[in-house]
Order: sequence, then C-alpha cells, then structure tokens
Amino acid sequence: MAQSLGILVTSDKHLDNVVNLTKAASGKAVDVRVFFTGKSVLLTQEERFKELVGRGKLYVCDVSFRANGLEGKEVPGVGFKEFVTQARNAEMIEECDRYLVM
Amino acid sequence: METLHILRSEPDATTSELLEHAVEPNSETMKLYAGDVDWDQLVDAIFAADKVISWW
Amino acid sequence: MKKIAVLVKDVDQQYEALRTSLGALLEMAEVSMFVLDHEIADMDEAYSENMEFLDEMEGLRYSNNQANVDKYGFQPVTLADVGEAVKASDIVIPF
Repeated sequence: MAQSLGILVTSDKHLDNVVNLTKAASGKAVDVRVFFTGKSVLLTQEERFKELVGRGKLYVCDVSFRANGLEGKEVPGVGFKEFVTQARNAEMIEECDRYLVM
Repeated sequence: METLHILRSEPDATTSELLEHAVEPNSETMKLYAGDVDWDQLVDAIFAADKVISWW
Repeated sequence: MKKIAVLVKDVDQQYEALRTSLGALLEMAEVSMFVLDHEIADMDEAYSENMEFLDEMEGLRYSNNQANVDKYGFQPVTLADVGEAVKASDIVIPF
C-alpha cells in the first residue's frame, strides 16, 4: 500500500516548498494530500499552484477562502467538494503516515 | 525515536530557544532556506523518521 | 489518540490557529495550543466563543505572554516547557 503524506499549508510564503515537496513525493508514488488554510488560500490564485494539479488531493478551507475575499474565484484542481472544513485537516492527521506543515 | 526537524525559514529568537529545548540528540535537521534543497532526499528523510516537525 | 501541539507565533493567524485546534479536538485528538510572545490581538466575539468551546472540549491553552494569562485565563508557560511539550507531541502545527 502506498505511503501517504499530509501537508497543511498555513502561510502564503512557501508555495515553492509546497510544489517542490508535492512533486518529489508524488514522483515516489506517495499519496499526497494538501490542505490550504488561513492566508495560504491566497496561493490558490498564483500561477505555480497549477503545478499541484494531478499530483495529490487538494483541499481548501472554505471559511478561510471566503474570509480572504476569494468567494467565487476558481481554483485549479479543486471542485466544490474539496472546499472543506477544519475537520478534513483533522482527518488528514489521523489518516496520513506522515503529516507536516509547509 | 528519530525526529526530523525541517526549518522553513531562519530561526528567530523564539524559534531558536524552542529548538534548544525540543531537539533531541538523535534528531536530524534540514534547512529549506539555505540554498539548494534535495527534495527527493527530503521525502526519503520524512518517511525514514519516526516523527517530523516542520518549524516556521 | 494523537497528541497535538499548536504553536502560535504569527499574530495574524491567532484565530486560524484556534480554529485548527478546535477541528483537531472534534476528531478526538488531545490538543494543547500555545500562544507565544504576543497578546491576543483581537479578542472579539468569535475568538472568545471559540476559546470557550476549546475549554469545554478539554483542549488546553497556554501562553508565555503574561497579559494572556491575566486577562484571558491562559495557563502560564515558558519556552522550555513548550519545548518539552513539543517532544511529547505526535504532531506539531506552527502558525
């Protein structure tokens, strides 16, 4: 069974790290899940965010998304079911073999 | 138990003091802010460690 | 049950960190939230209500800022204590 990695993104400063780590992990057949919360939801509007699509499951905190004035904006690779609550992050903590913050 | 400490940015005074108390002898530290990062190696280190802490 | 330490250094993320702590508590994790250095910048109704909810859910909250201890009932903590708590935790979430 594939190993899994949960990545919680809380800051809008480290998109390069998120992209590089996700690419490297998915390249090793790791099941990657990324949860964007707080100010990090702003990263969903950056060009490099698209590089995450297809390399892992992407989730966005719906409350943070709206609180940062992004309601109605599209996010590549994130459908309405992936706009979630903090409960999803907590589930990631339980489900993933490794979990870290980027 | 081996812990991997990941430093995303250069530690400030608070982080430095926390690290003094939180880093145990059998730990590994990887700095993401200090030049080229070998991301493949980082993934291997994440799964080789028993515990991973990614600091600020 | 996983032990989670939420470390809050970014003033702008204090509320976000509280929400994340609550989310983890609702999934039956054991959560300690440490507000470091800064006083709670915006003790509005939302923060206050969620802080009470955290207490009701038996989450623990600490601070090394004396104003948070005196005004908002955080338990006092030193950075040395936080370091020990980090060692004892399964998951560490810095904000």
